[in-house]
Amino acid sequence: MNRALAPVLAAIARVAVLLAVTLGLLVVLLVTSGYDAGEAMQAMVRGAAGSWYAVTSATLVRAIPLALAGLAVAIAFRAGLLNIGAEGQLLAGAAGAAAVATLAGKTPGAYMLPLVLLAGVVAGGAWAGIASWLRQRFGVLEVISTIMLNFVALNAVGWLVRGPLQEPTRIYPQTEALVPSLQLPVLLSGSRLHLGVVLAVVLAFVMWWWMRATAGGFRLRAVGMNADAAAVSGRINVARVSLFAFLASGALAGLAGAVELTGVTYALYESLSPGYGYTAIAVALLARLHPLGVLGTAVLFGALQAGGNAMQRDAGVPIALVNVVEAVLILLVIAADRLQDVRTRRSITRTDDAAPSLPGNAVSVPS
Amino acid sequence: MSQYKAMNAFQALLSGHAVSRRAAARALAAITALAALTACGGDKPEAAPAMSEFRVALLTPGPISDQAWNGGAYDGLMAIRDSLGAKVSHIQTKTPAEFEENFRQYGAQGYDMVVGHGFEFQDAALRVAPAYPNTVFVCTSGNATAPNLAGMNFAFEEASYQAGMIAGALTKSGIIGAIGGTELPPVRASFVAFERGAKFTNPNVTVLISYLGTWDDVNAGKEQALAQIARGADIVFQNADAAGLGILAAAREKNVLAFGANSNQNKIAPDHILGSIVIDWPRALLQVAREVQSGEFKSTVYQFGLRANVVKLVLNPKLASRIPANLKARVDSVGDAIREGRFHEMDDVLRPADKLPDTTRP
Repeated sequence: MNRALAPVLAAIARVAVLLAVTLGLLVVLLVTSGYDAGEAMQAMVRGAAGSWYAVTSATLVRAIPLALAGLAVAIAFRAGLLNIGAEGQLLAGAAGAAAVATLAGKTPGAYMLPLVLLAGVVAGGAWAGIASWLRQRFGVLEVISTIMLNFVALNAVGWLVRGPLQEPTRIYPQTEALVPSLQLPVLLSGSRLHLGVVLAVVLAFVMWWWMRATAGGFRLRAVGMNADAAAVSGRINVARVSLFAFLASGALAGLAGAVELTGVTYALYESLSPGYGYTAIAVALLARLHPLGVLGTAVLFGALQAGGNAMQRDAGVPIALVNVVEAVLILLVIAADRLQDVRTRRSITRTDDAAPSLPGNAVSVPS
Repeated sequence: MSQYKAMNAFQALLSGHAVSRRAAARALAAITALAALTACGGDKPEAAPAMSEFRVALLTPGPISDQAWNGGAYDGLMAIRDSLGAKVSHIQTKTPAEFEENFRQYGAQGYDMVVGHGFEFQDAALRVAPAYPNTVFVCTSGNATAPNLAGMNFAFEEASYQAGMIAGALTKSGIIGAIGGTELPPVRASFVAFERGAKFTNPNVTVLISYLGTWDDVNAGKEQALAQIARGADIVFQNADAAGLGILAAAREKNVLAFGANSNQNKIAPDHILGSIVIDWPRALLQVAREVQSGEFKSTVYQFGLRANVVKLVLNPKLASRIPANLKARVDSVGDAIREGRFHEMDDVLRPADKLPDTTRP
């Protein structure tokens, strides 16, 4: 077998197995709860991939925030930081973007759209910066601080849309809709696919190249594999690398929020995100934290959700059933990583795919 | 033995390891079997909908098991199916992105009427409506209109005022509570009405108002209700959909009185619920659906309140004895004033569209 191709095939096989188990479980759930599994699965496939419209406007539109937030989770996990706060950083990014869009007034110039996106990047980074500061100043575990900051962000958005950023009639808890010049252009007329998809793909490739081919990427991976070893090497400032990884992670998640705002919802709402930041953790783990893999798994989760919607629309299957299956998929991903961990320890002599462990030994990542 | 090998291959695949060709073949067979399982029964041809078939879709923001806002609208959808012979579809949606996606999907499938159940659907409906001129979009609690977009407005505050009058008169501690899901305009207006009604019968009453930040979290509802009860509230008014079930559970547990909302919830806690503010969803939705079906649809904000006999306070017969006759008479006289258009206590709180007279049956 071609050496370069082997890991790709292994990855595809792994995703295929997980997907098959997931769909199999969905069929079992459908049958046992008395639904017509054939009709439901047909609706699911049709809704996710049955037409050009379904692919571009349902699956890919959902995949964009998942991919960006997935990259955010991947870069943090690669640096050994368990950033569970992509959801909050995404909301902070959306809020920051909405704030700048509101300040831009009724007739903003063309230069304002990049500034709006930049505001999302900065706000998301700053939100992650809080957790990083807590970690480095007080030793607060980022798992706890980031998850708590998610709720702070959600409630802060709730306050913003009823206070300073509320639409001018002051009736509805949302911001004013973005003027067309602040909306991301739609790529294909007749679909909802917006420029964000290009951003996500470009950023995934940039991150992949950066991790592989630059000294900064090497330092980040070194800290993630073993922070102590990186520190004693004398060449790596662990605190600085961690801070950078945190800020980059928050910035990517913030961009996800800004892109969702400018590309899809056009206004800030409390319910802007259905939990993209949480699903992004599964997206990143299923991709084994590989930036290009994240693109693939984001599309997979986008398809699952779009298909789940269609299943409810056309076959009357409650969305809760799809949520159950999605959650099981996430558990399977984590279980698969644990299995890998155990197997690695069993075959410790094999060095080609030794997997380092993250703090707390919760999940393992490939080098 | 072979079972063990297959398991091993499966494990290896799951963990992303290179595997032997034989093991891979075994795993592949397993995948194929699963794929076959998922495909079984999936070869039926897609039935093309007859052109004459009347099709109606409903988008709810929460689960229809809430026995309140969402469940009520679903009852309305079922009434449309049963009375008009319509083909119906329902979907639970959460985010604005999903609202738009599903509006477009229903529009593309040629549905005749698509109901977005809440004001939060109207931005998406406004964007989507021009692209699907043959579909009528309706947003409940919405005030936006377009040639094929209408709003449906429910004067929840009228009955809330009546409920407030009862709560103010019956409280022993002088403290009553009101708990909402999130601070939406109709909910806020309803709580203002509840408070004014209570002050009308008991000027010294204290009204505790809190919002949960969720419509789904039953436990959050219960916690908040217990907190209000601990602060002395002995009657709790709520408008929180599924989370409201937690509030009613707390009322039952702590033996205080409560009100139901959005659907007739009197039976959920028959010894503790004084009455429910009922929205007669089937009546309201059927009326709009009939107009759409017969081509008489008007681009307007449909008004439904006490006068249209759609939103009303339904007292729990089991606790009727708790309400003295003179109080009942006062509550009824306010009801008469509302029906006759003489009720203006809430005019300063309402949106302009809310003040229009009720839509009555043609």
